[in-house]
Amino acid sequence: MSQSEAKDSGARDTAMVTITINGREVEADPSKPLIAACHAEGEEVPHYCYHPGLSPVGSCRICQVGVQQGQMPPRVMAACRTPVAEGMVVDTEAPKAHDARRECLEFLLKNHPLDCPICDKAGECTLQDYSFDEGQGEGRSVEPRRKLDKRKSLGDVIVLDQERCILCSRCVRFFEEVPETPQLCIGERGSHSVVETFMNRPLTGNYQGNLADICPVGALTLKEFRFQARVWNLHKVASTCAGCSRGCAVTTEVLRKHEVKRFRPRHEPAVNGYWMCDTGRFALEAPNREHRLCGGILRGGSGQAQPVDTRTALEVARDMLIVHGEALIVASPFLTVEEGRELLALGKTLGARPVFLSPEPNDLTDDLLHTGDPCPNRRGLSELGFDALPVEEVLETLPSYESALLVGERLIDMLGAKNLATLPTALRVVLLECHYVDSPSIDVAVGIPNHVEREGTWVNVDGHAGRIAIARPTPEGVWMATRTIDTLHELLTMSAPGADAPGSATPGAIPSTPGAEATLG
Amino acid sequence: MSGFETYLLERTQAKDSHLLKVARGLGTYGALKKILDTPLTPKDVIEELKESGLRGRGGAGFPTGLKWSFMPDADKDTRKRYLALNADESEPGTCKDRVLMREDPHTVIEGCLIAAFAMRLDAVYIYVRGEYRVPYERLAVAIEEARTAGLVGPRILGSDFSCEIHMHKGAGAYICGEETGLMESLEGKRGHPRPKPPFPAGFGLWGQPTTVNNVETIYNAPFILERGAQWFRSMGTKKSPGNFLCGISGHVEKPGVYEIPLGMPARQILDEFAGGVWKKRALKAWIPGGSSTGFLKPDAIDTSMDHDSLKEAQSMFGTGAMIILDETASVVRSALTLMNFYEHESCGQCSQCREGTQWLAQIFQRIHDGQGRMEDIQLLEDLANGMAPGKTICALSDAAAIPTHSVIRNFKDELVEYVREGGHPDLRGKQPAVHQEVGV
Repeated sequence: MSQSEAKDSGARDTAMVTITINGREVEADPSKPLIAACHAEGEEVPHYCYHPGLSPVGSCRICQVGVQQGQMPPRVMAACRTPVAEGMVVDTEAPKAHDARRECLEFLLKNHPLDCPICDKAGECTLQDYSFDEGQGEGRSVEPRRKLDKRKSLGDVIVLDQERCILCSRCVRFFEEVPETPQLCIGERGSHSVVETFMNRPLTGNYQGNLADICPVGALTLKEFRFQARVWNLHKVASTCAGCSRGCAVTTEVLRKHEVKRFRPRHEPAVNGYWMCDTGRFALEAPNREHRLCGGILRGGSGQAQPVDTRTALEVARDMLIVHGEALIVASPFLTVEEGRELLALGKTLGARPVFLSPEPNDLTDDLLHTGDPCPNRRGLSELGFDALPVEEVLETLPSYESALLVGERLIDMLGAKNLATLPTALRVVLLECHYVDSPSIDVAVGIPNHVEREGTWVNVDGHAGRIAIARPTPEGVWMATRTIDTLHELLTMSAPGADAPGSATPGAIPSTPGAEATLG
Repeated sequence: MSGFETYLLERTQAKDSHLLKVARGLGTYGALKKILDTPLTPKDVIEELKESGLRGRGGAGFPTGLKWSFMPDADKDTRKRYLALNADESEPGTCKDRVLMREDPHTVIEGCLIAAFAMRLDAVYIYVRGEYRVPYERLAVAIEEARTAGLVGPRILGSDFSCEIHMHKGAGAYICGEETGLMESLEGKRGHPRPKPPFPAGFGLWGQPTTVNNVETIYNAPFILERGAQWFRSMGTKKSPGNFLCGISGHVEKPGVYEIPLGMPARQILDEFAGGVWKKRALKAWIPGGSSTGFLKPDAIDTSMDHDSLKEAQSMFGTGAMIILDETASVVRSALTLMNFYEHESCGQCSQCREGTQWLAQIFQRIHDGQGRMEDIQLLEDLANGMAPGKTICALSDAAAIPTHSVIRNFKDELVEYVREGGHPDLRGKQPAVHQEVGV
């Protein structure tokens, strides 16, 4: 949990006060500034320096609203530094407040380069938004604009454009207050102020990416995302990060129904507050990896991998699992609770032992968010009844079974393709994965969607249920994982003990279904 | 010259007045001794100050006794508490505190001790402007002298009252004379003013209750305690009692620091004390109380120098530092000088001030250089409206907006003339100045 969230929950004991916002009487938390009460009421109050996850400084002065207290005449006040008080009457649309905000915008735009056409922030820039809402449409400055460093590298993650910067100091406070590793400062003074790092050192740490989110303008941008997409072309879906067992709430942002371009943190007080780590943010390789397994693959008697459609592959898998009944079910830690439940039911029918693959913790753990545990649904699968088994143990145990059902994404990576190849030939292996590796030990493989194409629930390390959501369509020929597991289960039930054993339980006999051949995408 | 009672500069006139031996002979520490011997309670002292009607001499003119009473009750709030003495005198035109610190540091110390006693605190920080080398040294030596004599430190004059005084040297930033900027600077941070609330009396230095007073304000306290509030009220006006130190500079025959009762017409100060506008020239403009109070026309010279009269004249008493401009001076150039000052001294936190001070300076520069446009006059006014009043964390933005408004209100003709005729008279008909791009 982020520090700011901890602060939030600690302050809830204070008694609420009643104030009036735009004519409505509302309850407000006096431990929070007036702007928070306005936002809670759904009133848009422009703000740059204020960020709900950081301490307020009241320096940008854009959040001016009309406030009347007691017998005093109404005044225009900065809402982010005004404490809420009983009986306060607030008018966010007061003409004087509008004027003050319009004037403030004129000052903020005086030296702003207005290079919106090539700015990555365009479309989600609040300087644009508020200028549109309240600005005056015409600049009155004929003075030359400030010339500063337009592409100052601040390390591996962030590029700073000092000209676009409006000096809100959110980035400075972020490092001071969230990871508590102060690295940025405002250098120089007055109209010469610039954001810079101490001694021009590059930024370090696993939380730098947040700077690009909290920067209200395009001054701090991600090197990864720079000039990659126009943000309005991104399809955005609320989901959960797959980076570790924290399960930070994220937005998955996909360009043209195809490439995942960004993961960005989504506010979730119980999990990640407003932040996420760079490991999770930049985990774009896995969801975007090409050469997906679409449909099914069978390794016939000839030993050649042969593409088939999903149902055919599942029927062969059914035959194999029935004959070689003593099976180990190995689930990927990326499986959702819903998929795990289906798989567990299947395992019960089969009488198989269910485990999930539990790789070694990594050394990315910190006090803030990253748990160091690469299994996003460890808790969910454990609570369902899957045993956590380390990679070596899985590989050691497998030869003692007749067959193995490996289900879920990244299993090949985690088990290791080489290790898979050395499994005994007597072991029948059915693999439901997003990718395929041409290995003699894999008898049947069926493609499933990866975590940006599925939906379901992951339970994080603290027991918080996070939803993952479909951010892009599954590749052609790929069934939802639940449907695949469910179908295999159905097939197994239909041929339960007592029913006629299928004629051929060995791979090789492939029914030909014209036009339904699978492809390796 | 009109006769009136004086006290502020009396002790500074003596030879070696900065030495303890001399100062004690002049009566310094008498008020402190009276308080401790009587003994008066802290409440008595604050009541006496309230009764006297003393108003702060640092610029805002806030009643000092009232300010002291804002400190939380020491019985209920046992936090450590501080007095910060604002000796970062840097408002252009102002040079009164320098005289007091340099010539009579012991009365400054006595004032601090009385304030500390009244507010029940035992730590005073004196924040001295970095350029004030001699005043700083005199004060430092005086504190040591007083410590040796048992006047500073534990159990002062054998009483239960203890108080330590610390010195701090500023590093040249005007903004550190703003009370919250001063506190940040004292804490070792950048001198960025803090938003209020919280106010210093509740959350000041290191988050503890703090009062910040100006040197001249504190200097008045021993006299009030020794001679009584009624004596103090016999001077000055009803709402602004007492005398003040008027630093008068610019185009006058005898610039200097003079002791003046509040309420004396500015013309009288100019003519009787400063010897009138120099070289028998006519008055063109004047600033009543430091650069932030704006330019006034000659016809306002009959205004009384006190808080209310100057407010009526759409200005402020400020620090009581008059600046006189004669008929040959250029108000536009003077305003440009001031705007360059404010641009240089803006801390850069608030958007309006950071961008506005620069913008105002740029526009005045263009008008001065002959590249002004008629619409610039309206723009100046709009910008000044956007910067003040009360739209920013501290009053530096206001301090730049007030002179701008005053130029437009009182000297619009000159602005128009500069725009029409091509800038400052010295530049007319010459090659226009090349504007350099701003940046690093």
